[in-house]
Amino acid sequence: MAMKSALKAIRERGLGTFFRELKEEGFLRALLDGNLMSLSLLLQTKLHNRGATLVGVDKFGNKYYEKLEGTQFGRHRWVEYAEKSRYNASQVPAEWHGWLHFITDHTGDELLMLKPKRYGVEHKENLSGEGEEYIYHSKGHALNPWQRDWSRYQPWQPTKTE
Amino acid sequence: MGLGLLASRAMRPLRNSHSSVFLRTIVSKPELQSAESSAAAQAPPEPDLPPRTPVGGARIHFPNPEDAIEVFVDGYPVKIPKGMTVLQACEVAGVDIPRFCYHSRLSIAGNCRMCLVEVEKSPKPVASCAMPALPGMKIKTDTPVAKKAREGVMEFLLMNHPLDCPICDQGGECDLQDQSMAFGSDRGRFTEMKRSVVDKNLGPLVKTVMTRCIQCTRCVRFATEVAGVQDLGMLGRGSGEEIGTYVEKLMTSELSGNVIDICPVGALTSKPFAFKARNWELKGTETIDVTDAVGSNIRIDSRGPEVMRIVPRLNEDINEEWISDKTRFCYDGLKRQRLNDPMIRDADGRFKAVTWRDALAVVAEVALQAKPEEIVGIAGRLSDAESMMALKDLLNRMGSNNVWCEGTGTQPSADLRSGYIMNTTISGLEKADVFLLIGTQPRVEAAMVNARIRKTVRANNAKVAYIGPATDFNYDHQHLGTGPETLTELAEGRHPFCSAISNAKNPVIIVGAGLFEREDKDAIFATVEAIAKKHNVIRPDWNGLNVLLLNAAQAAALDLGLVPESTNSIESAKFVYLMGADDVNLDKLPNDAFVVYQGHHGDRGVYRANIILPASAFSEKEGTYVNTEGCTQQTLPAVPTVGDARDDWKIIRALSEVAGLTLPYDSVGGIRTRIRTVAPNLLNVDEREPATFGPSVKPEVTGKMDTTPFKSAVENFYMTDSITRASKIMAQCSAMLLKK
Repeated sequence: MAMKSALKAIRERGLGTFFRELKEEGFLRALLDGNLMSLSLLLQTKLHNRGATLVGVDKFGNKYYEKLEGTQFGRHRWVEYAEKSRYNASQVPAEWHGWLHFITDHTGDELLMLKPKRYGVEHKENLSGEGEEYIYHSKGHALNPWQRDWSRYQPWQPTKTE
Repeated sequence: MGLGLLASRAMRPLRNSHSSVFLRTIVSKPELQSAESSAAAQAPPEPDLPPRTPVGGARIHFPNPEDAIEVFVDGYPVKIPKGMTVLQACEVAGVDIPRFCYHSRLSIAGNCRMCLVEVEKSPKPVASCAMPALPGMKIKTDTPVAKKAREGVMEFLLMNHPLDCPICDQGGECDLQDQSMAFGSDRGRFTEMKRSVVDKNLGPLVKTVMTRCIQCTRCVRFATEVAGVQDLGMLGRGSGEEIGTYVEKLMTSELSGNVIDICPVGALTSKPFAFKARNWELKGTETIDVTDAVGSNIRIDSRGPEVMRIVPRLNEDINEEWISDKTRFCYDGLKRQRLNDPMIRDADGRFKAVTWRDALAVVAEVALQAKPEEIVGIAGRLSDAESMMALKDLLNRMGSNNVWCEGTGTQPSADLRSGYIMNTTISGLEKADVFLLIGTQPRVEAAMVNARIRKTVRANNAKVAYIGPATDFNYDHQHLGTGPETLTELAEGRHPFCSAISNAKNPVIIVGAGLFEREDKDAIFATVEAIAKKHNVIRPDWNGLNVLLLNAAQAAALDLGLVPESTNSIESAKFVYLMGADDVNLDKLPNDAFVVYQGHHGDRGVYRANIILPASAFSEKEGTYVNTEGCTQQTLPAVPTVGDARDDWKIIRALSEVAGLTLPYDSVGGIRTRIRTVAPNLLNVDEREPATFGPSVKPEVTGKMDTTPFKSAVENFYMTDSITRASKIMAQCSAMLLKK
């Protein structure tokens, strides 16, 4: 199936263009990896994006597509993650979440204007399972390197005497 | 039927016949059901006077039964002694009159006008705090006239009072706030600008926001009458009237913190407590103070694990309702320099934190190797009776009896209780008319006792004579001399002051516990007793010979018999157990001696220690203390212990088990049972146990007094123990307030 549509694409747009696009997407790297799975996924994405409009790209490089004709309603917006191997839904920043999930028709770039300058924090993906040092720990958590000290007394510090 | 109505019906005396109570059917109006009770209900109603209880449990004492007069408060008759004011009569009748300037322990000013009440046949409302009650007076406290008067006064008071309750430290415990809610109008008519007043600097303890002041002059009266310093006063007239020091000056009184309590508004608040907490988030623990030997009753207000402030508690016999600044502001010392882990000193002289198991094992091993006569135990000035009992028991089991409490000198005599407590009692000092202070400066040694002496001097012009180094008193006194020669003169009747003592009705001699440290203390005490005998100071109905102790643990230590066997045990000691003892002189200690320091602060005692066992401070434990007049009181834990610290007695109990000399108790109750066999008076909490025998049964002393003059026992009022020495506020006070 994938092969068939790939061939179709080559036929429609010429071999040169096809390879240039693939190169841009890191296809060759995937080829060198020998990871056929990611290769086929990449191809699939590439093919899926045909005819769709690129609505925006967020600061992480995730691309947001929309295609109104020829798709089932409700499946007409999608994201192509910048991260090709370890992607997950939490990589979509808050401002694009609403557009992607049909909550709003405002794109993330428009919604970014509403982000409070003073206290709006940077989006951070969910790093569970990536190791203790990456995960969020509350201010009192023992693994938080900046763990807050709640002790209400100051201990005596032994100093060398005599 | 609402709850309130139910309650009022339950409280009201039953007027109906009893049948309606016992045979009650399930209807809301039994009168409608039975003819008999409906007839009773129609009986002419007597005036509806719910029984009243005096405000705050106020009691009246009739010195002279003929002087009783009857007045009517809201139609309710009360009998009061002659000379009481209208306000006091209302209090006895159970009516709380709003007031700002009136304070029962201060003179009457009558300038806030909040206590206006209506009196029949009086053309205007009268200020009840300043008006003496007259026989047959008909006082009305809830008539429209009285209500309107209060509302008007409140409107005037609020005219110049800033609306800054949300940022005011008094918020929640402010008299003006409460009374404007209860008696004030719901609107004001004032549209002009409010006046503002420059804040005064009263020192490191009292914060002033003088714009909030309502000129009640309570602080001025407190300073002049109770504290005895002429620092505060009124300046200006009318709306320009303000409280202040005449010249820029700090308030140098050891009782200055009390103006915070008596200020009805937020004009005078606590500087260390400023913006730290609100009073409704604090947990109050009623306990006692250990920074001096008075044992003032205090309430420790804590939030979570932190002591936020200390305020006084009423105890007429000890501290009335005042406490000294050291008591009130020492609490930040409880949060600094705390020992929180057991530590052992390494070979290179550094302390290393270890576990309790290791620490106790090391202590037990060293202790068991030492010879019994080389073991010494010293209790500190803040130790409680339970831990001193445990320490003495442990050392006795090890075979040593060299255990004492610091500050009692090398040869304390615990044989006669009258020889180390205040026999007159603190409240009994008020009956005295001549004071002879020997080697004691009560102003720095026990500020509350000094306040009592000052009260007596003010009330009945008592004479005060003083023997000791020059010092300042806040009342008139005669400085008789500086040393034992004056004592000899008094004992031999050669001194001109002798006639004053002899002619006195209730003479009082107060001897300072600083003299315990002198070598010739037995001779000095013998001379003092000779003076007492010569001038009839001790009579069956009056015991005027007192000792003013210096620290909280002393009386309990002597009650428990913490008396060392040999006077120079330190010089040959191999194992020294310091239980919070910081001020003991360890210069003569051999270098190879092993010192265990058990305590709560890294203070002087730590620097010679080989091993540190962290213990709990007085705010964290339940402990029994005996104050200088022999009254047993208990502390209660207000906050949890810090780190790995444990209660003193628990550490000693654990050590005894590790050493294989298990003490036969493992609970506070167990220790108290043990204490019962030694000093049963330590179990009668909040009761004063008088001494049984006077000094007359004492054996003759054949010693001669040294001629060296007496020394002052307390160098720095603000820093006397490990807690106060760790406190930053106390350090500030001693830097700013002590005279150079």
